[in-house]
Amino acid sequence: MKIWTSEHIFSHPWETVTQAVWRKYPNPHNPAVVGTDVIERRVVNGVLHTHRLISSRWGLPNWAETILGADRVCYGYEHSEVNPEERTMTMRTRNLTFANTVSMDERLVYSPDPNNSENTVLRQETIITVKGVPLTSYMENYLLNSISNNSFKGRDAMEFVISKINREVEDLVSTYKRSTSEILDHTKRSLGEITESALRSVDDISLAAKKSVDGLSDAAKKSIDDISCVAKKGIDTFTQPTPAGSMPRI
Amino acid sequence: MNSVGQECSDLKQTYDTCFNKWFAEKFLKGLAEEDQDCNNIFTAYQSCVKKALKSQNISLTEVEKDVLGTSEENRTPPSS
Repeated sequence: MKIWTSEHIFSHPWETVTQAVWRKYPNPHNPAVVGTDVIERRVVNGVLHTHRLISSRWGLPNWAETILGADRVCYGYEHSEVNPEERTMTMRTRNLTFANTVSMDERLVYSPDPNNSENTVLRQETIITVKGVPLTSYMENYLLNSISNNSFKGRDAMEFVISKINREVEDLVSTYKRSTSEILDHTKRSLGEITESALRSVDDISLAAKKSVDGLSDAAKKSIDDISCVAKKGIDTFTQPTPAGSMPRI
Repeated sequence: MNSVGQECSDLKQTYDTCFNKWFAEKFLKGLAEEDQDCNNIFTAYQSCVKKALKSQNISLTEVEKDVLGTSEENRTPPSS
């Protein structure tokens, strides 16, 4: 049995990295992976559980194929859990092909970097066991070296997918910005039109009001004139000297 | 990315696109417990994959079987 472990920090937030995990294949760095299928998936207590079948070409050298047998496509089984509250994603993958002689058990954990929450730490552990065939130890070492030498490919693949996701987000933001500025423009224009028509209405109203006020004061003036005229006439009548002896009897 | 069954690849891609959107926009933000959005397409994709696995003689029963907590779990031999 051989154990290989490694740790890697992605300079991307956990949310971006976990999205990239689902979208990792296809990528130009891991052409051996030819298919991924979700066999089962459900959310239990807020945690997303997924079982996937990974189909890949192992590309074993001839000597290993002679010992293990040659399968054109090999299968791996992956079980993962995503806990958005704790921000952890764990993933366990085992090989199904050659399972009687070779056991490759890989465990990945993605979690935020405790020193910088904008980064994500990937902890990786692979346990390799070969049994029941000749050259066991030699074969284990061979697999260990090939995992170790190829591990950078998986990281490059993740970076490739992450930059794709980031580009999509940027595109979305710029589309959003464009449509926002269009909306703003539109709003400005509409507001301008509304203000203009409002100003026009206010003008109309004040003109009408002025006319009414003018009319009113005209009428009021006339009424006052009339009243004073009548009053004057009344007073005149009252103060006119009455002929003697014809004093009104009270 | 392809499916184990070539005939399921279109369904798989439609489902993956739907799932990725749900995962990014709802699940990670705590907005949805169940993936209601992609339910129908998932069911169709699943039945296609199950058929493909059967026709290609890929058996998952061994890995999917629950062992821990059942009588099949290997127990520590009783100390004498």
